[in-house]
Amino acid sequence: MDGMLDRRHLLKGALLVPLAPLAAGAQTQAPPPPTIAGSGANAGPGALGAFLQISPDGTVTLRTTTTELGQGTHTAHAQIVADELGCALEAVRVVVGQPEPALRLVPVNEMYTGASFGVRVWEPRLRRGAAAARSVLIAAAAERLGVPAGELRAESGRVVHAASGRALPFGELVEAAARLPLPEQPPLKPREERTTGRSVQRPDIPPKTRGAAIYGVDVRLPGMLFAVARLPEVFGAAIESFDARPALAVPGVTHVVPIPRGLAVVATTTWAAMRGAEALRVTWRATPHDGLDSAGVSARLREALDRPEAQRPRNDGDWEAVKAAAARVVSATYEVPYLAHAPMETENATVRISGDRAEIWAPTQHQDWCVRDVAQVLGIPPAHVTMHTTFAGGGFGRRLHVEIAAQAAHVARAVGRPVQLLWRREDEFAQGYYRPAFAARMEAALDAEGRVTGFAIRGAGGSIMYDYRPWLFRNPNFVDPFALQSVTDTRYRFGQAFRAEYARVDLPPKVWLWRSVGSSQYGFFLESFLDEVAHAAGKDPLALRRELLAHDQRALNVLNTAAERGGWGTPAPAGRHRGLAYMEAYGSLCAQVAEISIERGELKVHKVTVAIDCGDVVNPDAVAAQMEGSVVWALSAMKHEQVTLRNGRAEQRNFDSYRIARIGEAPMVETHIIRSGQPLGGVGEPGVPPLAPAVCNAIFAATGKRIRRLPLAGQDLTRA
Amino acid sequence: MIELTVNGQAQRLDAPQDMPLLWALRDLLNLTGTKYGCGIAQCGACTVHVEGQPARACQLTLAEVAGKRVTTIEGLHPEGRHPLQLAWIAHQVPQCGYCQSGQIMAAAALLRETPRPTDAQIDEALEGHICRCGTYQRIRAAIHHAAANS
Repeated sequence: MDGMLDRRHLLKGALLVPLAPLAAGAQTQAPPPPTIAGSGANAGPGALGAFLQISPDGTVTLRTTTTELGQGTHTAHAQIVADELGCALEAVRVVVGQPEPALRLVPVNEMYTGASFGVRVWEPRLRRGAAAARSVLIAAAAERLGVPAGELRAESGRVVHAASGRALPFGELVEAAARLPLPEQPPLKPREERTTGRSVQRPDIPPKTRGAAIYGVDVRLPGMLFAVARLPEVFGAAIESFDARPALAVPGVTHVVPIPRGLAVVATTTWAAMRGAEALRVTWRATPHDGLDSAGVSARLREALDRPEAQRPRNDGDWEAVKAAAARVVSATYEVPYLAHAPMETENATVRISGDRAEIWAPTQHQDWCVRDVAQVLGIPPAHVTMHTTFAGGGFGRRLHVEIAAQAAHVARAVGRPVQLLWRREDEFAQGYYRPAFAARMEAALDAEGRVTGFAIRGAGGSIMYDYRPWLFRNPNFVDPFALQSVTDTRYRFGQAFRAEYARVDLPPKVWLWRSVGSSQYGFFLESFLDEVAHAAGKDPLALRRELLAHDQRALNVLNTAAERGGWGTPAPAGRHRGLAYMEAYGSLCAQVAEISIERGELKVHKVTVAIDCGDVVNPDAVAAQMEGSVVWALSAMKHEQVTLRNGRAEQRNFDSYRIARIGEAPMVETHIIRSGQPLGGVGEPGVPPLAPAVCNAIFAATGKRIRRLPLAGQDLTRA
Repeated sequence: MIELTVNGQAQRLDAPQDMPLLWALRDLLNLTGTKYGCGIAQCGACTVHVEGQPARACQLTLAEVAGKRVTTIEGLHPEGRHPLQLAWIAHQVPQCGYCQSGQIMAAAALLRETPRPTDAQIDEALEGHICRCGTYQRIRAAIHHAAANS
């Protein structure tokens, strides 16, 4: 299983190439070279500095930093290493490394998978490290063959001397190469010789077709017991009292253990633990928000739109003056609900304690926090905790929240055996950490010719960053970067004034990073509103956006590509209508054209044409897959998804009440990747924000109805 | 003691009669390819074949499958090279992959009854299967591919 390799075996006599930690703030700049020379001698058992190991048998092992959530980063990382090192893709084994400085993201110094960082941040570092390894392999071969290094090339796992026809496999060179200092500035492969940028098949896919890939919930350890959590229905409700006897009466149940936020029932099978969790009699304490419902949430958001005070991270020009001078002001208010991530694999973690050491197996997006929390619960140093990162059955941001690891540690300690703790689907939906419910009011000033002279927006909702990294708010002027994500840094130029405000609304359900985070709602808000502005100004929605982006060739190119490929400006097939949207997020620019029809009030999205400029690309097919997945993800949220509250409880507890888009609803997605040569952008998230506005703008084209609230479920889509 | 045949092998299980097949497969027989997603027959991740018919393993008790032949994703093909498994690779269908055992088992049952399904027939057969990664477009393409190659 990935992550369970015998470290010492791999380290023996291996060439180890460490990744140098990046300096703070350097993520988007060229990275520094690796500076720590590894070798077979100084990288003995316990050494954690290596990310790339070449063993005497020729095996190349990449200790990567990202969790494979389905986004394909393990494949991309292997492609980069294989390309720069000079070996076959199949020769590179990818395992997730232990948390250590080289695998941490700066400036936070944590090992996690998020923010669509997987390829864009790590590509330069992996390439440089692999180039350094290639350089010492070639130097060792030059010595052995008695030829100048300049006459040698690394290819197919060998160093080749073309002139004499001689070749040495990497495995035969590693001992000598490991004694050489790694160059700080290794020459990189010329761009035109690179093999990255071509689609390859993902090595994780064949086992995923055979039921052989090991997810967190598939971990089986000798002597392991299964535990299932029982958690409150009201957010944050504490236990008043409980009666464990009905649970312990279930055959197979062995223990009932208090854990943070609730209880765990331990048994010999998951089924017995589930029955025990249901049988437990628990009295929960009343909370101040036992009466909270969705109407109350909405009212709080609307109030905040009118609140006198708000943070104002962008305030160019004099909005009030521009508004007063406008020939016309367009304004509208939008609102979106709480959303659940609902990854197919529910929360789980497996913990084994051995003396003053512990191991965790988890499908997590945040290795460092799992280790930190388990170490804290057990009172042992983090260095005594080994992290085994499994495949994850979806992530979408949910698995950056890691409380399950600490809960599992409590249970494992209490029962004295390895334990796998699982949350039931019902608890997954009930425990909060949602995409925040959010509202926004927007105003655009137009002059007599219908030109935009100013734009103002206020967003109101929960602060994700406050629930994610509360310590940042010790600085009273700190502004949650997710609170106006993709707005404050938009490429649009709105004329003489641009004001962006955020009014924070603290509500009981914790809020969390949800695929594309703040951009997930601002795509809908901003791009739907621009459609309104275009219609108010009597302009084509594409033409309006071209005006606002006239200064930016890169953005125009993305917009124009989607428009042309999506048939914008040409007659749509009978009964079909088109909508357009554009947004930049996570370093990538994405535009989409949606083609829809509405029959008897029923929406059908037939086709979505996606243009994405992610700078450059490593595995184009994986980018296409992310665009297809992002479209379905966003479509599902737009049409069906919402967590509603009643009496302090989530009303949706499983897939019967929280509807997810099914295969019959999936549109044909056509992806056009633009290689602008700009720095790499992310691809896991940028495809999400444009979808809802593209479709809702098409709904307006079809019906004259402006959708200002999601989801669409329950809204009348017949022609106005 | 409950007797049944799983992937061609006779099994005797000392387990409660009302234990769902899903948990017997996963926790007693260590066949973890069949997944828990919802427990209420809404997601399809636990789909197996019972006597050749697709069934939700979370809804079938051991008493109900006693004496029957059960096939899981691990037993779909001896080398994991069922035409659908090959098509799933050719079209690079899975992302996270968690739901794909159930998707493939449902598709295999479809192809047995309907060797050349239309898009509408595929949509109908797989309607009960959630893929949170949104691989539906590729699932459709892969089923057509397998249908054309088998």
